[in-house]
Amino acid sequence: MPSSQTPPAGATALDPTAVRPDIADARIVRVMPAGVRSTLEGLRADGFTMLLDLGAVDYLEREPARFDVVYHLLRLPDRPAGVDEIGTPERVRVLCGVPSDAVTVPTVTDLWASADWAEREVFDLFGIRFEGHPDLRRIQMPDDWEGHPLRKDYPLRGVARERTPRPSFALKSNVAAGTPAAGRTAAGLQKQIAEVRRLADAHAAADLAATGDGKQP
Amino acid sequence: MSVSGGPQAVALDVIERSEGRMVLSMGPQHPSTHGVLQVITEIQGETVTKASPEIGYLHTGIEKSAENLFWSQASTVIERMDYLSPLTNALCYYLAVEKLLGIDATIPPRAQAVRVLLAELSRIASHCVWLGTGGIDLGALTGFFYCFDLRERILDLFEASGGARMHPNYIRVGGLAQDLPHGFLAKLDGVIEMYEPRMRDVRRLLQKNPILQDRMIDVGIISAEEAVGWGLTGPCLRAAGIGYDVRRAFPYSGYENYAFDVITRTESDAYARFLVRLDEMDEAMRIVRQVRKVLDEPGPVQSPDTKFSPPPKETIALSMEALIHHFKLVSESFRVPPGDVYQAVEGPRGELGYYVVSNGDNRPWRVRTRPPSMYNLQVLKKIAIGELIADMVVMIGSLDPVFGEVDR
Repeated sequence: MPSSQTPPAGATALDPTAVRPDIADARIVRVMPAGVRSTLEGLRADGFTMLLDLGAVDYLEREPARFDVVYHLLRLPDRPAGVDEIGTPERVRVLCGVPSDAVTVPTVTDLWASADWAEREVFDLFGIRFEGHPDLRRIQMPDDWEGHPLRKDYPLRGVARERTPRPSFALKSNVAAGTPAAGRTAAGLQKQIAEVRRLADAHAAADLAATGDGKQP
Repeated sequence: MSVSGGPQAVALDVIERSEGRMVLSMGPQHPSTHGVLQVITEIQGETVTKASPEIGYLHTGIEKSAENLFWSQASTVIERMDYLSPLTNALCYYLAVEKLLGIDATIPPRAQAVRVLLAELSRIASHCVWLGTGGIDLGALTGFFYCFDLRERILDLFEASGGARMHPNYIRVGGLAQDLPHGFLAKLDGVIEMYEPRMRDVRRLLQKNPILQDRMIDVGIISAEEAVGWGLTGPCLRAAGIGYDVRRAFPYSGYENYAFDVITRTESDAYARFLVRLDEMDEAMRIVRQVRKVLDEPGPVQSPDTKFSPPPKETIALSMEALIHHFKLVSESFRVPPGDVYQAVEGPRGELGYYVVSNGDNRPWRVRTRPPSMYNLQVLKKIAIGELIADMVVMIGSLDPVFGEVDR
């Protein structure tokens, strides 16, 4: 039952930030990578001393800027100040559109120390490079991970990869009766099961021969 | 040294060649890292010359999971980020969703009061864990039991409200899942009653303890300017003398109706952060007492715009429309108008923010968390330099990171 406020099914926006409802949560500044550095330098000089957060959004099919790098800034005094002096500090949100063919943005680690891990995380999860970052390497995913999981074209459960069974496991015939490990064929499994049965039958025959008439002693 | 041969000589040789510096890896399996944190430290003698915290050992892709769940389901994984104050996470997320839906002004006062109550109880419960485990790090075992007993009573309240102790999923879009159950207020009165004598004991055990004071005073100092530059929020920022509190600066859920003080100190060492949190627990209890007075008044706990919440149980058996409505909500959830919004609340660790983007579908397009723990923890590489290696645990404890939130 869609309400009057909700849009009909299927009508999704390619660029939600352009059609956002009128919510007064922050002043919004839109820039492209060429102008982001000067804009942020200006805001820093203007008294936005805190970079609260630096994140990214992948809009996948939006042209020309597929990604948004989002900076949340807060105007705070950088010396001890009381509650009344601070009042309601001003918030600014800088949205920096990043095209998919040149996913590079200049770093702001020299303006705000807090950008260090945040930029590493955006690089790790979105593959957006921050030019000039002193130590740009993965932070959440393992160092040898391939792909950037928060991109919209990255599947939820990860990329399917070829898994080879551990040799020590594959050689043990008693595993064959259990769940087949990935990479083993059904025919091979049948063969292994047949081998296990043959061995078991041979053992039973040997036991029979040892006890003579097959009756329990 | 003229020792020849043997591993000792080799070790001494290495230390000499590196000008007496040695690299020591602390964690990720270390009892006082409060989770899975690895700090690669370079030490000269006992003094830290370089510290590099490595995170990501608990990365579970919660932000990715949330994009693939309905708006109402996403709070399940979101509550698991900061697992010491799950209700604060759910509250912040739903405040953002409600703003996008345009129903933020229709939340009934009783629902808002309960949300404030649970948020403040979460703060006390979360600080109990910090205080108890922080004491253990420094060898003070007894305080732990006093703190965790108090926390247990608060978790009992969460269990009564939503059915689960850790992740009640009690806050819903438009209000609450249901009204507080019968007997909840009596239990709440019990917690309010036990709080003061219990905290008096804890303060006697820990606050004036000369060993704890020796370990914490003048350790991990950070100036106000650096605290702002490193993005510290919450008790860590207020211990540096900056009185920024989201509850006061950007009131939400009716915080403007309650009287409370924003605690600040200026020493900005581990002990100052310790005292700020202790005093903050008292202020949280002060808010809880004020909310308690409001809760005697019955009232609705759901926004009248019922398009986003299931119809009352009794109507489902009688009305076809209610049944269809319920079915549609469960099977395909609701849609949220396209747009983006940033919502912040004051969590136990600082400014907890959610940047939520909707493209008009029944699933969020993006849920970005502003994790206060991550920004607070990052400063470790700055404040650890020049301190003793033994004080590393004091500094980690005083920053109070939760790794569910740092790594998400």
